[in-house]
Amino acid sequence: MILDVRGEICPYPMMRAVEAMKKLKGKNESIQVITDHAPCLETIPMQASKLKWSVSIEEVGSPEWNITLNPPIE
Amino acid sequence: MRFFFGEFLTTMNEINTSNKHRFLLTPQYLAGIVVLVASIIFALIMSRTEAILAPLWLLAMAAGFTLQRSRFCFASAFRDLFLFGSARTMKAILLGLAIATIGFAIIMHSKISGASAGFGYFPDEAHILPVGISTIIAGLLFGFGMVISGGCVSGSLYRMAEGYLGSWVVIGGVLIGIGLLNHTWNWWWNTIISNEPRIWLPAINGFGYSIGIFVTLLALFGIYLLVVWWESRAGMFMPVHSTEQEPAETFSEKIDSLWNTVFVNGWPVAVGGSVLAVIVILMYMVHMPWGVTGDLARLTSVIMTSLSISPPEALGLGDMGCFSGDGTSGLFSHTFTSTVGLLPGALIGALFAKEFKIRRPRKATRYIQSLGGGIIMGYGAGLGFGCTIGAFFSAIPSLSLSGWIFGLAIAGGSFIGVQAIKRIP
Repeated sequence: MILDVRGEICPYPMMRAVEAMKKLKGKNESIQVITDHAPCLETIPMQASKLKWSVSIEEVGSPEWNITLNPPIE
Repeated sequence: MRFFFGEFLTTMNEINTSNKHRFLLTPQYLAGIVVLVASIIFALIMSRTEAILAPLWLLAMAAGFTLQRSRFCFASAFRDLFLFGSARTMKAILLGLAIATIGFAIIMHSKISGASAGFGYFPDEAHILPVGISTIIAGLLFGFGMVISGGCVSGSLYRMAEGYLGSWVVIGGVLIGIGLLNHTWNWWWNTIISNEPRIWLPAINGFGYSIGIFVTLLALFGIYLLVVWWESRAGMFMPVHSTEQEPAETFSEKIDSLWNTVFVNGWPVAVGGSVLAVIVILMYMVHMPWGVTGDLARLTSVIMTSLSISPPEALGLGDMGCFSGDGTSGLFSHTFTSTVGLLPGALIGALFAKEFKIRRPRKATRYIQSLGGGIIMGYGAGLGFGCTIGAFFSAIPSLSLSGWIFGLAIAGGSFIGVQAIKRIP
C-alpha cells in the first residue's frame, strides 16, 4: 500500500499512517509512506514501533523520504 | 549542476543518511551561504541605528536555526499528548524551562535583589503578565487555534522559512486575529484585565527568589513525572534506531561527521529545548526575554493604519512593557529583530540540510484550517500578551504565575483542538 502524504504536515501524515497500519492489521502487507515533512521521520517510527511494525527510512529527494512500514511477523 | 569537492560520491543511491551530504555544493547550500552572509551584513547595518539590535538579531537567527534543526514544535508538544499519548517534545520543553528558570533568576536578581522583592517592583523586562480569567481564555483560544492550524506562532514562522505555504496562511490568520483583538481590547481591559494582578512568585508572602525558584523547579519536575506516567499509560516508547554508521577515522571524516550532526541530521528535541533555553537567557542578558508576537502586533497596527481601520487607542498598555513594544519608532526595533531574525536563521538551517521546499497543502480544507486556526490563535496571543514563547517559555522562567496558567490553558485548548481535528478529514 502506498500512502502519499506529500504536502501534508503534522499530525496528518502520522494519523494517516496509524490508520493504515490499523486497517492492514493481520494482512501481512507493507506500507510505503511518501513524505516531504521531516518531523514525520521521528513521529511515524515511534507510532509504528508502538504497533510493533518495523520501519526503514530511505531518503529519495531533498527533501523527500520513503518510510517503509512492515507488519509484525505473526 | 552539482560541484563536488572532497571525496567523490559514487553511492548516491545508497541509503546512508550519515554520509551522503559530504561537502556537496548544491544550489541549496550556496543559497544558505548567501542568506547567512546577507543576514550578518544586515545585522551590521542595523547596529548603526542602535548597537543592541545586532546581537538581538543574531540571537533570533540562532533561535530560528535551533527551532528548524530540532523541529521544535510547541503545537505538537501539547497536541501529541492527547492525540497519541506522546510526551517527547513536552519533556524537552520542561527541560528547557528548568534551564531558563535558573538563568533568568540570576539576571532578575541582578536587577532586583531578594530583599526588595515583594514591594511591588518587578525586574525590568521580565514577562510577568496579568493573571486571571483572561489568561485562561487566551490560553484556551491559543491552544485550540494552534492545533487546528498545525503550528503555533513560532512554529509557523520557521515553517514559513522552510517553504510551507500553509504556514504563510497561518501567520496571515494570526495578523487578522491580533487585529480583531485590538478592536475589542478596551472591552477586555475594562471588563476583566484591569482587575487582574501580575503575580510574581518571589513577591508572594516574602517568598524571595529561593522559594520562587524552588517551587518552579519542583512543579516542572512534577509535571515531568506526570507526562512520563501519561506516556507509559499510552504504551509509548522510543524505537531503537539501528543506524549503521561507519566510524569516522580520518580528519576529514570526523569533520564530515560533525558537519552532519549539526547541519544535516535533525537534532534530538531535548538538545533543541536546552539550546533554546540558553538563547532566551542570552536575549534577556542583552535586553529582554524572547517573544515573537510583539512584532506581529506592530505589523498588524501598521496594516490597519494603512487601511484606515485602526482600533481606538488601547487602554492600560502603558505599564506592560513587553507587549506595547519598546517605544522605538521606525522599522528596526527590538521586537522586529527578535521576531524577523528567526526567519533567516530557520531558512539557513533548512537550506544547509536541503530541507527547503515550497510545499502546498493539497486539500482546500487545509487552507481554511490554517486561516481559521491562525485567527483564533492570533486573538488568543493578543489577549494573552504573547504566544508559546513570550507568554509561556519566557514567562515561567520569569517566575510569573501567568506562564503556568497560560500553559495549562493551552493544554486544555489543545485537548479540545485534538477532538476537532480527529473529525476533520
